[in-house]
Amino acid sequence: MALIEVTDLTFAYGAQPAIDSVTLTIEAGERVAILGANGSGKTTLAHWLAGWLPTQESEATRGKVTCRGRAWQDWPLAERASFVQYVGQIPSQQLSGQAFTVRDEIAFGPENLALPEIEVRKRTAECLAACGLEKLAARDPFTLSGGEQQRLVLAAALAMRPQVIVLDEPVTNLDPAGCGDVLQLLASLPASTTVVLLDSFPRVAVEIAERFLFLHNGRVSLDGTAAEVLLHPDAIASLGLPSAAEAAWLARESGAWNPAAPIPFSIEAAIAAFQQVENAAR
Amino acid sequence: MLRVEELGFAYPEAAPLFSGVSFEVGAGESVALAGRNGAGKSTLFRLLNGLLTPSLGRVFVNGVNTRDVPVHVLARTMGTVFQSPEQQIFEARVSDEVAFGPRHLGLSRTEASRRAAEAIERVGLTQYSSAHPMDLDRAARRFVAIASVLSMKPRVLLLDEPQLGLDFRATQRLEKILADEKAGGVTLVFVSHDMDFVARNADRVLVLGDFRLLAMGSPISVFSDATALQTAGLEIPAALAISTALGLPAVLRSRDLVAAWITRLQKKTSEMSPGS
Repeated sequence: MALIEVTDLTFAYGAQPAIDSVTLTIEAGERVAILGANGSGKTTLAHWLAGWLPTQESEATRGKVTCRGRAWQDWPLAERASFVQYVGQIPSQQLSGQAFTVRDEIAFGPENLALPEIEVRKRTAECLAACGLEKLAARDPFTLSGGEQQRLVLAAALAMRPQVIVLDEPVTNLDPAGCGDVLQLLASLPASTTVVLLDSFPRVAVEIAERFLFLHNGRVSLDGTAAEVLLHPDAIASLGLPSAAEAAWLARESGAWNPAAPIPFSIEAAIAAFQQVENAAR
Repeated sequence: MLRVEELGFAYPEAAPLFSGVSFEVGAGESVALAGRNGAGKSTLFRLLNGLLTPSLGRVFVNGVNTRDVPVHVLARTMGTVFQSPEQQIFEARVSDEVAFGPRHLGLSRTEASRRAAEAIERVGLTQYSSAHPMDLDRAARRFVAIASVLSMKPRVLLLDEPQLGLDFRATQRLEKILADEKAGGVTLVFVSHDMDFVARNADRVLVLGDFRLLAMGSPISVFSDATALQTAGLEIPAALAISTALGLPAVLRSRDLVAAWITRLQKKTSEMSPGS
């Protein structure tokens, strides 16, 4: 049984569907990137994948989402929250508002699962360290910078030890060093953890995902490897190319690239690829 | 247009932050402020737009010392686009939001509306003129904030991470607006974590670290300063990393990289077949 199964999902806030006839399955342990431009439906789909939708007020127009064969409505809240966590785009909106310190904010979730205090403390300490927040542990979450809040929200999500983590543009507010730290953190998650990343640029996705989906006007129009999805003209038109791939792409368009050589997605791969093509031309 | 002299600052009852920072930005020039989270970019930004008053030194905007005039007078010359558009949007319609500034410049209602319509068109939101800004997505809200500043026709434009949350096409639209403003003689100062964005849009880069000015210069010279980059935790643009590793002249843009690479490739190929 697939971990998360989306079947013919159509969902609208008003007249225009935000998600239109989406069918997809995500297996346990998969690292999936869902890429799309602003307004393509990423956040709405993320809410469905994380069980934030449906609510009593907003249900699907058509279709459904199940996790381990059960619709989200049938998951008790505590069970769902320990199974899947969602990290949103605007971290300040995701703070509990119940914690006066960073430490308490991280402890908030595990405490609400009624875990033994020693376990709560252990998880809090681990997540503070993993997200580089130890020095900020006593600070008021609302006084942190955007980047710091983003790491805090991620730490609070990880403290729930979720099987699935849905990340909606997780590095938007981070500086390059902070971005590198988050990527490293995601890479260090157990292989069994399912990671779903939503973004409007392929830059971060190419670092962690092995499967790529392109979302366009609420529909999944491409699903495959980085090369299959990111080099498709539709994807290039709305996502752009990662800067490392762009140079090779331009070289290929000008006819100087070996058409059989793959387009590199990282800087290291690009350097090697340029050297290879140049050596072959000698 | 914008002159910073021996700037120093300290938050109340805290250690001094900047000290002796001086630089000047001319009309039609664009400067990027770069550095890690917490390096002091946003504080410097608020010192420039008058929301904070320097503890030491002076900031001049178009010859006016920011200490001498209230913020609303400075705002006639200098427009600020804050990091979170939510923090600067308060009207219930996009058109009212964008007309708010011009109306308070004392312009007629007709002129204010005309300027608002023009600014809304430039940011591509004409079809959403009557919408509530908070009903728009995050990228569109940022463009509302940008339009509300453009409609003031500022001489100096300050933008705190303007590309944040914008997708590829929206970023291109933003870059076109910035280039047009620059061409019109507007002074641009922006904060960004995205070094490819900086490389494409800045004439000069100021690198900040721990509330100090670590480096200042053209993008190519700053991005070649390994020590400053390391201290400031900055990445170098991909094209520069690749061109340097390949032993090509240092360039910032992919197309320049490819051009230099192809030239070398052709030279090698022709050397290999003399006489042909």
